[in-house]
Amino acid sequence: MGVDPGRKDRMMSELTRDRILDDVAGILADFHGREYLGTISLETRFFADLGLASIDAVVLGETLQNYYQRPFPFADLMARMGQRTDRDLTMGELVEFLHAHQDIPAN
Amino acid sequence: MPFVHANGLKFHYQQAGAGPDVMLVHGLTGDLSIWLLCQAMQTLSASWRVTAFDLRGHGYSEVPPRGYTSADLAGDLLGLLDVFGAENAHVIGHSFGGVVAVHAAVLAPERISSVVLSDPYFPALRHLENASRWGHWEAFRQEALEAGVELSDEHWYDLSHFFDQVQHLDGERMLKFRQAVGLPGLNRLMRLSTTTCGVDTRVEGGLSSELIATMKRPALALYGEFSPFLATSEFLEENLENCEVAIVPGAKHRAPEENSESFVRLIEGFLARQSAQGTESLISHQNTLC
Repeated sequence: MGVDPGRKDRMMSELTRDRILDDVAGILADFHGREYLGTISLETRFFADLGLASIDAVVLGETLQNYYQRPFPFADLMARMGQRTDRDLTMGELVEFLHAHQDIPAN
Repeated sequence: MPFVHANGLKFHYQQAGAGPDVMLVHGLTGDLSIWLLCQAMQTLSASWRVTAFDLRGHGYSEVPPRGYTSADLAGDLLGLLDVFGAENAHVIGHSFGGVVAVHAAVLAPERISSVVLSDPYFPALRHLENASRWGHWEAFRQEALEAGVELSDEHWYDLSHFFDQVQHLDGERMLKFRQAVGLPGLNRLMRLSTTTCGVDTRVEGGLSSELIATMKRPALALYGEFSPFLATSEFLEENLENCEVAIVPGAKHRAPEENSESFVRLIEGFLARQSAQGTESLISHQNTLC
């Protein structure tokens, strides 16, 4: 594994909503073999538009925690999704969630 | 992503909490996310070490070409207990996950403290059930039919028949089918269809009705009020030595989704009673020694 030059920056700096959306879009562009070529916006829906499943949301959560080197309460987000009839999630909601919980101290 | 190796296969898992072990086993074509969506993982991890994992062939676990009987899957469960250093565990299984829990409990009763069986049907008890009672199945069948896939009542239990039907749809019909039945994980389902999962899960796999009846571990059979498998719940109540049945109000086959609040509360209550009884028997044992 090579050195990840952005890692320290991601750990220390404040995450803006724009940056989080760019980061999530970058991760989803090559997500476990399911490449998504369309533009990802705040309105893009995780299941209906990207064709992903709830287990992908779990794994995306794990990936984002590694990427940002800090924990996020993804179990709470999953519980919220579980209460919805369509169980879907927009990128805007995900960005908002990550932005709101970025101050949890890294391990 | 957290992975462990057991029985020569790579398993994706999630673990939270500390205390006695609880293992969560999802059903066929499902994955571990069910336990996060219904909040079983979050709630139970306050008092237990809770581990949810993707069964072989499912979620992000490895997909071997064969080995999907309840005996194989029970072997994986016991293998994972070894990997996690768990001498024993309470096992909560949904649907076929419940079959896996019972199979593990008869193969290694000393490793399984108790089982919660969420709406399982057992291949050996298929003769008790009647798919026409299954409203969800009827709705699913109708939606599939509109998209060009015929699923008949006599094949309701047969995943390989379902895989065959869906696999041969052309691009446009496949898209329509996917939209109609709402299966965002269709690719994963298609991957499973290349294995022996469909064939393996419709056979008893060594878990005969006689063997099911020998299961002596404390059991909670948790069935939806409108479950298609209430005949199985009656069998379990009548034939298992230590089984209580509880009904999840308003639920059909998928209580974790359909009434997650009651589902989790009933499990929590059962596990708390197991814990209290375990403590009582320990105290009683210590008093005997004194």
